[in-house]
Amino acid sequence: MVDFFSQIINGLAIGNVYALLAIGFALVFGVANLINFAQGSLFMLGGYLTFTGVSYLGLPLLPAALLGILLTTGIGVALDWACLRPIQRGPRIAPLLATLALAVIIDSTAELVWSPNTQGFPNPMADQAWTVGNAFISAVDLLILATGIVCIVSLTLFLKYTWTGRALRATAMDPEAAQQMGVNVAAMRTLTFGLAGLLGGIGGVLIGLYYQSIWPTMGIPFGLKGFTAALLGGISSIPGAIAGGLLLGIFESLTSGYLGSLYRNMVAYSLLLLVLFFRPQGLFGARGLDALGGAQAAAGMVPSTSLMASAFSPVTSRIYTLAGWPALAVLVLAVLYPFVADRTWEHIGTLAAIFSLLAVSLTVVAGSAGQISVGHAALFGVGAYTAALLGVACDLPIELLLVAAGTMGAIAAIACGVVAVRLSGHVIVMATLASGLILHSVFLSWIDVTRGPMGVRGIPPPSVGLLGGFSITDNAGHYWLSLAVLALALFLTGRLLQSNVGRTWRAIREDRLAAVAAGVPAVRYLLMAFAVSGFLAGAAGALYAHLLAFIAPGDFFILASFIVLTMVVLGGLGNLTGAVFGAVLLIVLTEVLREFGEFRMVAYGLVLLLAIMFRPNGLLGSK
Amino acid sequence: MPPTRPTVTDARLVVDRVSKRFGGVAAVDQLSVSVAPGELMAVVGPNGAGKSTLFQLINGVIRADNGTIRLNGHTLTGRAPEAIAALGVGRTFQTSRVFPALSVWDSVRVGQTVSLIGGTPSRRRFDPVTEIAAALLRPGGLKRRERALDEQAEATLKLFGDRLWPRRHDRADSLSYANRRRLEIARALVDRPSLLLLDEPTAGMNPTETNELADLIARLHAEHGEMSIILVEHKLDVVRNLASHVLVMDRGGRLAEGSPDDVLADPRVVEAYLGRRADGSAGAEQTT
Repeated sequence: MVDFFSQIINGLAIGNVYALLAIGFALVFGVANLINFAQGSLFMLGGYLTFTGVSYLGLPLLPAALLGILLTTGIGVALDWACLRPIQRGPRIAPLLATLALAVIIDSTAELVWSPNTQGFPNPMADQAWTVGNAFISAVDLLILATGIVCIVSLTLFLKYTWTGRALRATAMDPEAAQQMGVNVAAMRTLTFGLAGLLGGIGGVLIGLYYQSIWPTMGIPFGLKGFTAALLGGISSIPGAIAGGLLLGIFESLTSGYLGSLYRNMVAYSLLLLVLFFRPQGLFGARGLDALGGAQAAAGMVPSTSLMASAFSPVTSRIYTLAGWPALAVLVLAVLYPFVADRTWEHIGTLAAIFSLLAVSLTVVAGSAGQISVGHAALFGVGAYTAALLGVACDLPIELLLVAAGTMGAIAAIACGVVAVRLSGHVIVMATLASGLILHSVFLSWIDVTRGPMGVRGIPPPSVGLLGGFSITDNAGHYWLSLAVLALALFLTGRLLQSNVGRTWRAIREDRLAAVAAGVPAVRYLLMAFAVSGFLAGAAGALYAHLLAFIAPGDFFILASFIVLTMVVLGGLGNLTGAVFGAVLLIVLTEVLREFGEFRMVAYGLVLLLAIMFRPNGLLGSK
Repeated sequence: MPPTRPTVTDARLVVDRVSKRFGGVAAVDQLSVSVAPGELMAVVGPNGAGKSTLFQLINGVIRADNGTIRLNGHTLTGRAPEAIAALGVGRTFQTSRVFPALSVWDSVRVGQTVSLIGGTPSRRRFDPVTEIAAALLRPGGLKRRERALDEQAEATLKLFGDRLWPRRHDRADSLSYANRRRLEIARALVDRPSLLLLDEPTAGMNPTETNELADLIARLHAEHGEMSIILVEHKLDVVRNLASHVLVMDRGGRLAEGSPDDVLADPRVVEAYLGRRADGSAGAEQTT
């Protein structure tokens, strides 16, 4: 029997943690104008450092927690100094991706230091709980509520009534004007990252107490929820972040109580998408969005310059592309590749071709049309599941499966796009993120069709209709098939980008308001971009499913989306050659780094971070 | 008194009791004005008078609280900006808005979207799927249409002498400030609008550049006899040279309307503009 009040109290407790994380996002977004995806990692560190203080240094819980939280605060400040400040004048996408790289580095370092396993977290009040009426209240619930309220109240008082708080708010509204008035903007930035680290650390300790355990990847789900809470409230509003956190916590708690915990995430992200659709500025408005062309621009009322316009700054380095004879020469070399490669490297080559196709798909919508999509792996997944399920159910040639997977990918992309095209700037990143997470939870929980976490097994090898139903079983065959699809996709996409359609996409990316004033139906063209992109991603998914013969939801989680986005940014947004280059580079890098064993992910994150810091416009230039 | 104004039936643009409030401020307040085919009307007034808001309302970027705006008999109010552009309204922006990373040539070709794919009031020539297929296959019909549009774009760029045409492959953000404004005008002009809205086209230009642009606008007006132009402009000598009709706005409403010489001599106008009564020599100087 689910008790309503127990669920509410539970929801308020978790919601308080979400609120702390959401405030961290909101502060950093307001002052530094960036979404700090490393916030979840700081949260995880707060838990782990406290755990270390207790387990290894033998400290009592309270001093250990204070020390852990203090260290997390310091790390938050240090990350900004070392990695984010140097690129704050670069394209806006660069700091965002840098925080992602930082999250990868921190999370995988934590796995190295503390092992990937879940650790028990000391909780002296584990047994204290009371029953009031039918409601079950634990001491931890009360502790979380009390800590949350103390943090929120003191932060609000600090921001409202102290000189420093006022200076911080001024910096968030207009850093240049604040600087003119004598506010030390750099110090405010440090303070902001410190506060975000502090709140993250506190949240980590509270969650450790709540679950009596911690694990190295806990930053990802809680970071995403904190981010969702911040968005629900309107990303730059502190009261909004608090309300968003509590609302999300209660909503989730009720969902898992009455519908089952499987639906928890799906419902949470659907709530976000719904709010973004009807109130893009969040439930509590967001005056701090002026940096994005004003709250109205964020709301899509006055369509305005997209996030990407700043990524295509006039200082863009030379653009390198391959076309004509050189491209043909590379193609010939690529066709001959299996004659020099062994079986392992043929497989790697196939993966590189599939991810190149996925990167090409993303660069259409993120590069040319300027709509950064962080849910792309889900479209890839839609294609993979379509092809896998059709392939298992009936005997179809791969050509048909590619078209079917592409079509389903395009339909899913349009569905995601319908929300996204009304938005602009950072908000679109969030909408695509939410769509991706919802699709991922569909893969996970629609067990009758997708078989849930078990995945789809026994996907038959592709049979090529054009070769009379020839069945591909060896690695070289898979490679040639993927290469052929990639070459065709590159040819067609290149033609499309050179046509009136591509030109219109770039115009919308550069200045949406000017484009619609010139008669461009922007929504129509953006949905076309989403559809084309979704088709290519779906086709890539079909190749992937048939290559591995087994797919599971984990392949299409948000991490995969980030990796594809990194490929595209690394190569140079909007640059087809760059997309392929970035994809091949990262796939090969993953292989080469295998030698590093367990240091692999740390090294991977470091390479990404350095590339973003030193070549923010991509290795081959943005177009 | 205003000279004979076009009646509602033969006017090109009719703005009928249009209001727009932002919070407590009436940016445009019960404004009515009409523009005849081929007329060049200037809108002047102090900062905050509602001139740019009027443009935003005509062009559909913001929606009127009440009142209607009609162009060639089509109601504009309630339509999206792209639909209003398709009905024949071209505009430039007060702070120039070029497509920074697009070439000059591509920027102008974007201005021909309606001619290429159609749109209200005519039917769209393509649905999205056929448009993508056509872009990939380039059938003969599309090629011919594109060639005609290329010629139109070339002719438009050459209107600006050697300012834009030799730079057609350059990125828009590499252009000088004055050239960006010219490019914006070219983009608004290229699809042959029946109404051209120019929002302070000479702002930030030196006297030589201002004169050159004023000459160009005069030439456009003479050559495109049917096209109506509304010009928001602070430089009163430009207004006097170009406009056949002047609307003076203040606090969202109409302060005065009529021929340039009459209106600019109106003491109320001088007061609104200069913030003092036209009893001294300054006022007299303004009106000569």
